[in-house]
Amino acid sequence: MNAHWIKTLWALMRRELWESPVAFKWTPIGIGIFLIFLSVITLIIYTQFDASLSSLFDGLRMLAERSVEERSLAVTAGLFSVATIFFQLMLLIILFYLSGSLYDDRKDRSILFWKSLPVSDSMTVASKLLTACLLVPGMFLFAIVLTHLVLLLFATVLSLLAGLNPITTFWLPASLPRLWTVMALGLIVQALWLLPVYAWITFCSSWAPRLPILIAFGIPAGIALVQHSWSLATSFSLPGTNIGWIILQRLGSGVLPSNIDIEFGNTNDIDFNEDLFMSFGNLLDVLLDPAMGIGLAIAAVFIAGAIWFRRRATDN
Amino acid sequence: MNATIRARNLSRRFGQTRALDGVDLDIPSGRIVGLIGPNGAGKTTALKAILGLGRYDGDLEVLGLDPSSSRDRLMEDVCFIADVAVLPRWARVKHIIQLTEELHPRFSREQCMFYLKNTKIKMDSKVKSLSKGMVVQLHLALVMAIDAKLLVLDEPTLGLDIIFRKRFYSNLLNEYFDEERTIVITTHQVEEVEHILTDLIFIKDGKLILNSTMDDIHERYTECMVKPDQVEQARALKPLHERVLFGRHILLFDQVESARLRELGEVHKPSVADLFVALMGDDEEQSGIGENAA
Repeated sequence: MNAHWIKTLWALMRRELWESPVAFKWTPIGIGIFLIFLSVITLIIYTQFDASLSSLFDGLRMLAERSVEERSLAVTAGLFSVATIFFQLMLLIILFYLSGSLYDDRKDRSILFWKSLPVSDSMTVASKLLTACLLVPGMFLFAIVLTHLVLLLFATVLSLLAGLNPITTFWLPASLPRLWTVMALGLIVQALWLLPVYAWITFCSSWAPRLPILIAFGIPAGIALVQHSWSLATSFSLPGTNIGWIILQRLGSGVLPSNIDIEFGNTNDIDFNEDLFMSFGNLLDVLLDPAMGIGLAIAAVFIAGAIWFRRRATDN
Repeated sequence: MNATIRARNLSRRFGQTRALDGVDLDIPSGRIVGLIGPNGAGKTTALKAILGLGRYDGDLEVLGLDPSSSRDRLMEDVCFIADVAVLPRWARVKHIIQLTEELHPRFSREQCMFYLKNTKIKMDSKVKSLSKGMVVQLHLALVMAIDAKLLVLDEPTLGLDIIFRKRFYSNLLNEYFDEERTIVITTHQVEEVEHILTDLIFIKDGKLILNSTMDDIHERYTECMVKPDQVEQARALKPLHERVLFGRHILLFDQVESARLRELGEVHKPSVADLFVALMGDDEEQSGIGENAA
């Protein structure tokens, strides 16, 4: 990859940001503001029951008395649960963005302008996927970091009011640089994990004559239904191999904190530690999972297909 | 000097219709070519093939490249306005200029600003808030600010007022065009472009009806407003076309000596529009050259 490519890709990715400022800029900022607003409201409601906030302060003092590991786990859990709300909405935004990414300019004919620029079709497709895999997660992570900082400032004020040291109670146990690094890497691993899904939607966006989002969801849903009916009719079924189930499993797994597999019925075995949220260890596990490799191979096929259709696409 | 465009047996079918039917074409550099034809004649199909935007059969080379496989490289030296108002509607003017600057190695921001200077287009405006004419003005400014070897203009001045159209063609001729460049224009308003063309191509049903330099055309075709008593004699010379204007018969001849014609009446050079009607048939008059320019 040379400097010219990087410059072109960056220009194309910034173009995406200009096209969808609401989805990529204002949504993460909006979620952050909403969460901060929510915690302020919660605090206000809390004062209605306990005007002096004494029970809240007692809780904080109890937390401060716990061991470093336990404090760390509690604070990280809080910060991760905040991030999870961002992650879920981000996934939705990315799926919708990709479904329109190679369709909207065909619909409004501006594809003729884009194709008048000396940019190859593979570069165009790459810029859309890189936007989904890096730029959008980057924007959301930035909003997460800001939200974390504001919430920790709230916690600081509260702990000072409770006569506690905010540094040792919240800031040090949060180990923010480590937390944000693991989140950044986690978002990249998650993007790779979901790349077959992203590539499929981009592929549909590249050829669908209309409603690419419905086509992208409808085709696998249809296949899943046919497969399911076939299994019922022939009483030949392989549980877990239904395509719809496989796709849903993929969307619901990966490295994001809400996605950790918990074996129900075996809850006693769960070891409550950081691995439950996101850690360097489980990032590596997901990267080395054979399912990751299979997913990337499938993604490569769909990406090649998306480029093939894009090369033939014009305004009609 | 290599041909800018070289096509051999260029063909394209849409179902049963042949949009392009074995077209052979050579356009050298330093020419301004008018590609004129009625609606559905294959103009756009030909231009799309040249720009790498559509499939085709046969051989086609543009600036030494195969457009179907090398569109991105070709676009470094080729500019086009494929149709009106295809700039992305969500974008702001400054964004489009910045993107073109970053993505096009031959784009000059100064040139673009120079062409935009006389318009009411603001840098912060979104394309969707501009009038149709302003979008075309912006697109023309972008395209003319690119130092390209081939400029393809498909109905470039649709929706523009007369003053801007006049200015555009004068800019095109005086500031943009030179010996190294080639310009291909399709338009229905032939009267506006005929004085700047060096070559003329008529296309109908996917075939080239005429492909010639303007000098040759002026040499070859003559129009004669025949004296009332000479009409039969003039008809004997097998005119291509005959029309009646204010009771006078005007006949168009192919390769008939003008000395002979002067005996029959008043001789002059036919306009492109008259030639079009003569060669393409009256039935196409409505769709082909409807707007007798403002």
